[in-house]
Amino acid sequence: MFTRARRSFLTGAAALIATAATAMTLNASHAQEPVTLVIANSQWVDALRGKNLWNAVQQYQKAAPNVTLVQEAIPSAEFADKITTEMAAGQGPDIAMMQDGLFYTAADAGFLVDIGKAVEGVENLNATNDHGVVNGKRLGIAWQRAVYALIYNKPLVDKAGAKVPVNVDELIASSQAVHQATGAIGFISRHQVSDLTGFFMDFQNWAYGYGVNWVDSDGKLTIDTPEAVAAVTAFKKMYDARIIPVGDDFPTQRTRFKEAQVSFGIDNSGGTLNIASGAALAPGDLAAAPLPFQHPGAHQQIFLGVSTHSKHQEAAIDFLAWLVGPEGQAALREASGPDALATDVPVTEAFQAANPWAETFAELAKDSRSTLIPGYEVQTTQIMRVVMEAVERVLVADDDPQAALTRAQRKIDAKRF
Amino acid sequence: MTPGSSKWLSGRGKAIAPYVFILPPLAYLAVFMFWPLARQMWLSLTDTRLTNPNGGSFVGLENYQWLFDDPEFYTTLNVTVLYAAVTVVLGVALGTISALAINRPFPGRPLARAIMLFGWAVPNVAASLIWLWMYNERSGVFNDMLASLGLDRVSWLTSTHMAFSSIVAVTVWQVAPFVMLVVLAALQSVPDEVREAARVDGADALSVFRAVTLPHILPSLQLVSLLVAVWSIRRFDIIYLLTGGGPIGSTSTLVVKIRQTAFESHELGVASAYGAIGLILALLVAFVHFVTDRRRQKWMAQ
Repeated sequence: MFTRARRSFLTGAAALIATAATAMTLNASHAQEPVTLVIANSQWVDALRGKNLWNAVQQYQKAAPNVTLVQEAIPSAEFADKITTEMAAGQGPDIAMMQDGLFYTAADAGFLVDIGKAVEGVENLNATNDHGVVNGKRLGIAWQRAVYALIYNKPLVDKAGAKVPVNVDELIASSQAVHQATGAIGFISRHQVSDLTGFFMDFQNWAYGYGVNWVDSDGKLTIDTPEAVAAVTAFKKMYDARIIPVGDDFPTQRTRFKEAQVSFGIDNSGGTLNIASGAALAPGDLAAAPLPFQHPGAHQQIFLGVSTHSKHQEAAIDFLAWLVGPEGQAALREASGPDALATDVPVTEAFQAANPWAETFAELAKDSRSTLIPGYEVQTTQIMRVVMEAVERVLVADDDPQAALTRAQRKIDAKRF
Repeated sequence: MTPGSSKWLSGRGKAIAPYVFILPPLAYLAVFMFWPLARQMWLSLTDTRLTNPNGGSFVGLENYQWLFDDPEFYTTLNVTVLYAAVTVVLGVALGTISALAINRPFPGRPLARAIMLFGWAVPNVAASLIWLWMYNERSGVFNDMLASLGLDRVSWLTSTHMAFSSIVAVTVWQVAPFVMLVVLAALQSVPDEVREAARVDGADALSVFRAVTLPHILPSLQLVSLLVAVWSIRRFDIIYLLTGGGPIGSTSTLVVKIRQTAFESHELGVASAYGAIGLILALLVAFVHFVTDRRRQKWMAQ
């Protein structure tokens, strides 16, 4: 008996040692094997912010010297098209930073692998990661969440003696007041369907601000609600007041803001950090306030995902594990301004002091909503194209908001999303 | 080798030679044109999605049925046909007038020719971005000029009644120099003595143009019209960069719609059906060219 027990013990111990040895050997070879990870992100092309973010992720190479990180920099306007095409062709980056709309499309198409291992043991993941779980699998981790706020050029507003608006009428009045007093552009806003994705995401602030949900309690798409009509009517009022530079694309409008030529705008925290970085407008002269609507606004969310076509999925997951860990989050915090990250890492005191506008964004992030329509995440862009074309008819052809949205509702009903 | 067999080989070689020469371009066209074209036609009969390009099922003519039931399709078709027609008429007219103007020697002609060729030489994307700034409502040069004359600013690209004309203007600016070059080459092949003879017979300048110059340049005009028409049906960059097909679809041509359907809705099958309609349109233009060319040749022979 004793002999049998001893034999079993010895066999078990040998097996354990063998397993541990194999694992150590594998880990050692895994750790030393040179690996190149390609990371796609539209932010890499952003002036200054792109460089800072890249420097942050490159700190991983200190923890894993065998890993070389390589950028795939794609401008945001082409990012979704290019990544979708690449992944559909069985190619593309190992890791992609995707807006939530693209993330759901990629998840739906089976382009993303389960990255649950990357967050194993991470106890301080916050709510920004909730939607990264699709059909019970963790396919995405939050990279950044950028909430929207009303931003303004404080010296210009003070010079004109204008008030910080709390509703659309005041927004128009204050924008006109600053324009008359200083010659600056009153307000910046996307307003063209040619920039569909940006336009619909920005417009969701107006829609949500007027209480729009786009779906009813049964999950049916509801486009022509009184709330939606009110939101479109308010947007039309703003458009007709000629306070925005009609025809300018949004990068141009942001550049004008950076150059201290604009008084007010509605932008997300990422865009605002861009405006506050390295231009004529000092970060201290930029201020933020809640959106001039009754209800909370929207946020843009970027997810990290690992491609099913990646030949280095394990190494990519290791990188993500580092990124959601304290070291990675601290590195990312420095470069992300006030954007919410995968874990609650407060902005540094130095950043807060230099960028007083950041606090408002943190406050607004508490009750902001996704720009995607709940239950229709994959189809949101197609649905919003119909809605935004109706909005464009109201803006450009003076169509009646109610009639335009009723036609949009019929069109969407006919398409049966 | 006997003299007989050498003669046979030489005869055989002569017979084979044309096929040997034609084989490489044929192979090139087969790989880069006919195969993708056949694949596109097949895709138009399937429900293929961009996210799964090899996973579509055969749906027959369902995509075409969907297109023909969609009112937006007819708007797109109208815009495409109108855009191609206006571009051909204005581009060929302006190019021909420029060629006639520059055909005779005058001081500074090489410089004038270089300037007039500018539109053709500048890459479309760069040119479109420059035009985008010139059309800018707030700080564009056109509106600055209007403002200095005390006139209202114009929404060149953001109003439904101006956007189409604005993209046509850019296209004509880009196409006319090419037409000018082709017509100029044709004009320089018109024999001077025939013109001179007509003048000696008392013909005025217009009559000389109608009776002598026009018949000479007509084949070139026909060919260049065909090319401009087909290019206009396929043109994407200028339209997409200036208006993206808007506002309210007023500049949305078939090619812009293909991009939107394929990359926004991910419906490769429907996008391919749009492409097939574009192909039919281009073939129709080529057919009209073929018929008018035959008629012209008959007329010239009489």
